[in-house]
Amino acid sequence: MRERFASGFDPFVIPFLIGMFFVLGYCLVAMVRVIAQLPKDDRKRFLLSLIKPKYIWMNLRDIFLNCLIHVKLWQRNKVLGYMHSSIAFGWFMLIVLGHLEVMLFVPERIHLFYYPIFFNYFVAETESTVQGSLLMFLMDFFLLMILSGIVLAVIKRFASRIVGMRRTTRLSLMDRVGLYSLWAIFPLRLLAESFTAHISGGSFLTIPANWIFRQFLGNDLNALPTWWAYSIALMVFMCVLPFTRYMHIPAEMLLIPMRNAGIKIRHPRKGFASLEVYSCPGCGVCIDACPMSVQKVNCKDATVYLNRQLRRGDERRIAEISDKCLLCGKCSAVCQVGVQGPELRLAQRERRKYALSPAFAGLDTAALVSAAASGGGPGKVLYFQGCMTRLTPSIRRATTSLLDKADVRWQLMDPDEGLCCGRPLMMAGRTEQARELIAKNREIIRASGCDTLLLSCPICYRVFRDEYALEGVRVVHHSVFFQELIAAGKLQVRHEEGLRLVWHDPCELGRGCGIYEQPRQALAAAGELVEADRHHAESICCGGSLGSLTLSFGQRVPMVRNALDKLTAAAPDQIVTGCPLCLATFVREADRPVRDIAEVLDERS
Amino acid sequence: MTNRQPVIAVIGAGIAGLEAAHQLAALGYKPVLIEKAPVVGGHVAEWNRLFPDMTPAAEVLEPLRARAEGIKTLLNTEISAINRLKDEYNIVLGDGTTLLCQAVLFATGFHLFDASRKEEYGYGIYNRVITNRDLEQWFNTRQDSRIDHPKAVGFVHCVGSRDLKAGNAQCSKVCCITAIKQAIEIKEEFPDAEVYCFYMDLRLFGKKYEDFYIRAQRDYGIHFIRGRVSEVGEAIDGRVVVKAEDTLSGRPVKVTLDLLVLMAGIVCNPDARHYAQQIGVARDEDGFLESRNNLDAITESSRPGVFFAGACTGAKTVPETLAEARSAALAIHLYLSKRA
Repeated sequence: MRERFASGFDPFVIPFLIGMFFVLGYCLVAMVRVIAQLPKDDRKRFLLSLIKPKYIWMNLRDIFLNCLIHVKLWQRNKVLGYMHSSIAFGWFMLIVLGHLEVMLFVPERIHLFYYPIFFNYFVAETESTVQGSLLMFLMDFFLLMILSGIVLAVIKRFASRIVGMRRTTRLSLMDRVGLYSLWAIFPLRLLAESFTAHISGGSFLTIPANWIFRQFLGNDLNALPTWWAYSIALMVFMCVLPFTRYMHIPAEMLLIPMRNAGIKIRHPRKGFASLEVYSCPGCGVCIDACPMSVQKVNCKDATVYLNRQLRRGDERRIAEISDKCLLCGKCSAVCQVGVQGPELRLAQRERRKYALSPAFAGLDTAALVSAAASGGGPGKVLYFQGCMTRLTPSIRRATTSLLDKADVRWQLMDPDEGLCCGRPLMMAGRTEQARELIAKNREIIRASGCDTLLLSCPICYRVFRDEYALEGVRVVHHSVFFQELIAAGKLQVRHEEGLRLVWHDPCELGRGCGIYEQPRQALAAAGELVEADRHHAESICCGGSLGSLTLSFGQRVPMVRNALDKLTAAAPDQIVTGCPLCLATFVREADRPVRDIAEVLDERS
Repeated sequence: MTNRQPVIAVIGAGIAGLEAAHQLAALGYKPVLIEKAPVVGGHVAEWNRLFPDMTPAAEVLEPLRARAEGIKTLLNTEISAINRLKDEYNIVLGDGTTLLCQAVLFATGFHLFDASRKEEYGYGIYNRVITNRDLEQWFNTRQDSRIDHPKAVGFVHCVGSRDLKAGNAQCSKVCCITAIKQAIEIKEEFPDAEVYCFYMDLRLFGKKYEDFYIRAQRDYGIHFIRGRVSEVGEAIDGRVVVKAEDTLSGRPVKVTLDLLVLMAGIVCNPDARHYAQQIGVARDEDGFLESRNNLDAITESSRPGVFFAGACTGAKTVPETLAEARSAALAIHLYLSKRA
């Protein structure tokens, strides 16, 4: 082992140093800004979490698993998982091993940032020692791993179908510069190390390459220019990084601890929202996942493009994308980073300016309150139909019939008229008005004295559960309630052999509230449960969601048909759901009966 | 051209089919009526009286039926396939026989919108909710347990028409006047009943329609409420509770009724679309068959030898349908003469 240059310096490292100081400086400023933009209580919470051992462990584990190994991506798509983890983990290992080499062999140079990166240029090492050959072998091994990832990346870019993606993102100019410079870094490193391998040593990759090159080049004149090129490629990549999707690499490392600390989006653009936007890797998995993408014109409205427009500040497109979305949450479910597409859009919608706003605070609900108070009481179930169940009276009828059969004492919260639960207003960005309704409804629920609030609409269920703060009152969706009654033996359901039933997970119930299994268990009592092509967290929105503020009925039809197509893959006799809106949407296009779970159970009990 | 009489397949033996077949026979052709049902007459045969003169439907239908007496009529006959040959059409019938014809006339008519699809109106869920067709049948048979001396009756206009949610943006054209006709008939039957019509707007375009409407208000005291019904519920005693907004007074209204009649709209007969597709005849945005143009070639398709008459191209009144049937017969005559 010997150092090749006493000065330990060569001008070719300058581009690398420029790039590195730029990107480190940029990220440091950005990080301080994001933390400073957090609301005061969030900031305190986040900073405190950083010193708690439990969170430190969680953060390290999550960063390692997500940023380096890409565990979630592996689960989804092995090829993409390998591609990303080979590059990320391989590169990480190259840097770690580079530092290890410096520390082992030339510890006095460890303060030079470029030494671990360009170690093979500055230090001649023979593979004759165990340490040397092992490290050289590992360096070549991880370089090969990265190169295999790069090959896949090139294939993916030009033929995304081969790696299992139907659509991938259209790259912006900056993204292209970043991408090509990233692709260039590792082949250049291989070349550079190969050209100097006969001086500085190498392993199974670099030594044969060196031998081949020497057969027809015969001199070392190529070495220095290649190290320059390698350094310049690094500079280009690091200098454009903040302006490309690769910003997700540093951003995600901050996002993970913040999310672990429980920070949520509180401002449409600042703080956590901006961090989510920058954490988007632009992979485009959300494009295929988005139910609107069945029509090509909507492909540009996937979350990846929202994030891009938020970075560019194109207000017209931000509003368009935010308003169009069905808020089904599937993009978040499939996102490797967990960017919250719906929450980001809802935050944008709160900026909407409405010319007129209804005032609900003044609504006279005295009659509703006194009606609730007169019939209620502990042990009784308060059943709120909500507007959609009122429009699908057979669901109400089946629900109350089942309650009677199970000897449950119940009363309607909205027998004749009732107030909106508030969720549609929230979806339209009218949080203030929603709060007024919530206060009114809470008064009615409290007055009833009932300790269970039953909902047959998941849209209502979600808002009652998450926004009403009804301590002491159990908020329950009817599918869960009936499943419990069946399990407890209070409801007897006849099993019909050969009746194939498929359960459609409504967005608000499944992804929104995490309820997947209870309705399936209840249905299994009535017939043979089959699964849709996409189910559980990957279930496809029916297309009728209230979430979209701008999609017309006509524009939704292809989405409805696509959802039905996937839903009926296993040839079910009936489609069963637990949402009156999904039901009403499907009925229009379905070629077989679409039922609410209450109807299916009521018929057989 | 041989001496053979050209054969013309007339699909559907409703009033359009009957009238067109008669006219074609008179012009010297050989029409063949193909009818899915066991009887001829189509929807008109199910109706009791017709607006605006309260003419019994039988009075219109009988002469049509009598004149079509000698024409070859295949009842209970479904069509399994239609193929386009060089300048002929080959129709494969349900029993496996085929019919070779020189021209095809679609007289396939309409389908009544399935009112149970508008679940919020409660058809098929609440006992006291019926459709316009149910009521017409009751006028014919007087047998329907749901209609029992009602004291309050409501009519809901535009059920499944002008309704994007139901997938039908188009106006069904005849329901406004039918509702008025049926409201008057109910009032004649049950003079002490209160009758309400819930409408978006009234489209009374035809001869005598407006007079009919004025009479309904002036002479029969029928209440017309401008506003869509939002929701129908059931009271404990089985009566139906209708909620709507009276958009003229700007107030929500709520009435309890003994009977609610849904004016189910008109949609294209799905069979017609199925046949049309097989021979490359396009369907319009509204789901009906597409005419070559909607001004002077309404009875002609974009395919040579394929013609339309009546409600297969959109909602039509009886006189419009009959006029179209005659017009289509002439168009076929011109087409075949030109070819000869």
